[in-house]
Amino acid sequence: MHRFANPARFLKIARPLTGWLFWPGLSLILAGCFCGLFVTPADYLQGETVRILYIHVPAAWLGMAGWSGIAVAALMQLVWRHPLASIAGRALAAPGALFTAICLATGSIWGRPTWGTWWEWDGRMTSMLVLLFLYLGYIALANASARQGQGGVSAVTAIFGLVGAINIPIINRSVVWWNSLHQGPSITLRGSSIDGSLLWPLGLTFLGFSLLFGAIVLMRMRTLLARNKIEARMQRLARG
Amino acid sequence: MNQWAFVAAAYALALLATATVIVLSWRAMREAEGQAEDRPRP
Amino acid sequence: MKAKHQRLILALAALAALIGAGLLAASALKDEAAYFYAPADVKAKGVEPGKAIRLGGMVVKGSLRRAADGVTIHFDVTDGKARVPAIFSGIAPDLFREGSGVVAEGAFDTKGTFVATNLLAKHDERYMPRELEGMQYDEKTHQMKAGQ
Repeated sequence: MHRFANPARFLKIARPLTGWLFWPGLSLILAGCFCGLFVTPADYLQGETVRILYIHVPAAWLGMAGWSGIAVAALMQLVWRHPLASIAGRALAAPGALFTAICLATGSIWGRPTWGTWWEWDGRMTSMLVLLFLYLGYIALANASARQGQGGVSAVTAIFGLVGAINIPIINRSVVWWNSLHQGPSITLRGSSIDGSLLWPLGLTFLGFSLLFGAIVLMRMRTLLARNKIEARMQRLARG
Repeated sequence: MNQWAFVAAAYALALLATATVIVLSWRAMREAEGQAEDRPRP
Repeated sequence: MKAKHQRLILALAALAALIGAGLLAASALKDEAAYFYAPADVKAKGVEPGKAIRLGGMVVKGSLRRAADGVTIHFDVTDGKARVPAIFSGIAPDLFREGSGVVAEGAFDTKGTFVATNLLAKHDERYMPRELEGMQYDEKTHQMKAGQ
């Protein structure tokens, strides 16, 4: 695991990988959105608004995956003192918050014509809003407790990331544990209750947004590493 | 109610927000990496 | 014991405690955080008349009637176990229909009828194109098949 601890070695892979993730990701998103908007049929009950699904679901997945990543990075930072882990945790926060916000916004836009309300305090929506606040708290804490010359997050921030992970299984199970306005899971390990003719563009946007998410995280990690380097040089100059 | 208005709003919002974060991340990265690669001024 | 192992055990113990606490809190919240009452909950626990609650379930097929005034609708809500009559005056959402999910905000009157002040359509997890309307998702085979 420590093979990539050396930033130079990490960057050697991260530099080309950024583009390899970005361009296929963007192409898949555009293809998926086009197909989802113009190719697939409308839902029998919801009508055209079903198309919001193709961005809502990947956004929900990435919002939750982002925090799972923060928790794993925090564990690696606290236990193994992996030097890149704290950088990765910090780089994950902004895109994670972005997709959580997109998930909430698109869900709200879908809820108005479908349910007849923009917002209700049911288990799924409330726990997802909590996730957004956790992200904002994490970002604020990371910025407030950042030390000079250390691009990553402080130990306190990492612990916050670990503690906040408890919300992830709660979001996932919220529609099962509690009577909620939000429908139950459509896609489970046993199959999908979304008809195949409506489902397939979701695969494109799901993969596309995931690749794009990876590209954003890599860009932000590279930014933090470069700033570390600048900071280190400034200190050398100041001492010299 | 026009359903397409809701669909268009959702897509526009999501894609605009994503594009904004990408552009900001990209610009920050270019700037930081550019500075890091510069030879230190004498 | 190496410091690394100590930290690992500490972190895992903290994580286990957290997950335990979270699950405990969630299960304690199980009733409180329920967004709505199902008809079976109402029958089992009893809800006093006049208390503002949400009632959720399916609109019973064939139960939807429009009163003479044209704005009041009568319908029954069921969760498969119990059935509760409900009444609503106003504009129902587009997706409100028989055999579909509904969440009604309001309170019971003294006769046990739920007087709704607001209706929300609850969508279920099935998505399909219009050609397939009337088909049912089969839980066992994961295929769409002709419904009742």
